[in-house]
Amino acid sequence: MSASGSQASVEPRDERPALGETGNDPLVLLELIQRLKVRDVMTSDLVTLPRAASMQQAQELMRQKKISGVPVEENGRFFGLVSIDDIIRALVAGTIHESCGRHMTTKLVVLEDDMPLSFALRYFDRYHYGRFPVLNRDRRLVGIICQRDINRALLVELTRELHRLENDSVRQGGDGVASSLYLLREFPICKYDFENAGKAANQIKQVLQEKKFPPKVIRRIAVAAYELEINLCVHSDGGVLSWQVSNGRAEVIARDAGPGIEDVEWACRDGTSTANEWIRSLGFGAGMGLVNVRRVSDEFEITSKKGSGTTVKSVIYLEGMPS
Amino acid sequence: MTMSEVAEVLQAEVLVKGDGMQRRVGHVMASDLMSDVLLVDEEDMLLLTSLASDQVLRTAQIVGAVGVVVVNGKPLPSSMVNVANDLHMTLATCRLSKYEACVAVHQALHPQ
Repeated sequence: MSASGSQASVEPRDERPALGETGNDPLVLLELIQRLKVRDVMTSDLVTLPRAASMQQAQELMRQKKISGVPVEENGRFFGLVSIDDIIRALVAGTIHESCGRHMTTKLVVLEDDMPLSFALRYFDRYHYGRFPVLNRDRRLVGIICQRDINRALLVELTRELHRLENDSVRQGGDGVASSLYLLREFPICKYDFENAGKAANQIKQVLQEKKFPPKVIRRIAVAAYELEINLCVHSDGGVLSWQVSNGRAEVIARDAGPGIEDVEWACRDGTSTANEWIRSLGFGAGMGLVNVRRVSDEFEITSKKGSGTTVKSVIYLEGMPS
Repeated sequence: MTMSEVAEVLQAEVLVKGDGMQRRVGHVMASDLMSDVLLVDEEDMLLLTSLASDQVLRTAQIVGAVGVVVVNGKPLPSSMVNVANDLHMTLATCRLSKYEACVAVHQALHPQ
C-alpha cells in the first residue's frame, strides 16, 4: 500500500528474514523471534490524539507521558504520528498552535499485529526508527512497538523458555539418561570466596541425583565441577562456572578473565601449585586440581595466556561414548 | 559396620545425623587435603579429618561420603552444622587424634 492523503502508508511485506541471516544467534532466541508475534510484544495501552488537537497539546502529552511520539487516530482509524522532530519543526516555524492533522508525519512505515517478531527486528534494523505503529487486519491502530518492548518481551520469554527446558522437556532414554539438551546453568565465582566455594558443584550434583543419572557419571561430573570451582576461587580473579548436559555428554567449563597461566603444561602436572600457605591451610592448593579434572574427563581442554584469561573445559560422556 | 556403629567406636559426638547414620562404612579416608579426597573412587567412604571447614563437607558430598568425623576434638564453626544439614551429610567430632581414630576404625572393621 502506498501513502495517500492523510492515511498512513504501509510498507509491502515483500520479504521474510531467512533463518540463515541470524545464523549466529542462539537457537532458542532464533526460535523465539520467529514464534512471537508483534502483538505479543507491542504496547497496546496507547496514548493518542485526534487530528484536531494542537501540536502544543502533543508536545505537552509527550512531556507528561515521557514518550517520543504520539499516534494520531480517531475511532481506531490511524492517520499519522507526531514525533519529536515534528514538534521541533513546528516550534521553529511558529506553527505549534496549529493542528496535529496538518503537521504530523503521514508517510509512515507500520507493522501488522500478526507479523512475526523477526519482521519487527528487521524493520528496526532497516529504518532506524525509534518506534512503529501497529495495525490489525482491519487497518485499525492497535498498538505501538519500540525496541524496549522487544528487549523486555525477549527477557521474559527467555526466562520462561529456560524453565521449560529445565523442567518440561526432559526426554529420557531407555536407561534414564537424558539424550537431548535440558540442563544449562552458570554460576559466578568470586576470588577467595571460601564461604561459598563448592556450592555450585554441590548444586550440580543434587540436580544430577534428582534426574537419576548413573552414580559413577554423577561423581565424575561433580568432581570436575568442584575442582574447577575451587580453582576459580583460589587462582583466578573471579570467573564463571558453567555446565550443560546435552546429546549424551556433560560439559563443565570454567572461564576467568585473569591472571592467566604462564606455563599450562606445568600447571597440569601432579603436585604443582602456586597456592599460598593460607590456601593450603584450607585444604586446597595441593596441585592436584587440574590433574584430577583431566582424570575424570573423557575430553579435557585448557587454554590460557598470561595476563589474560583461562578457560578449562571438561567433557564427560554420559554412556561411555559420545552420541 | 554402619556409620552409627563407627561413631560409637570413636566415642564421637554426632552433630548432624544426615542421611549416613545407617549406611555401611566400607572405606576410610584420613586426610586434610581435599584434592586427595577427591581422588578416591569409593562411595562407602568415611572421611576422617582435622580440618574444620565447610569445604570438608562440600568435598564429602561430592564424593558421596558416608559421613565426616573431625578428629582432635576441634571446635567446629557453626556454619559447618548448617552446611551439613543443607547437604544431609552426617557430621561428628571425636577427641581421638587422626592416627588413633584410624587405628580404632581399622580394628573395628577388621577384628583379629
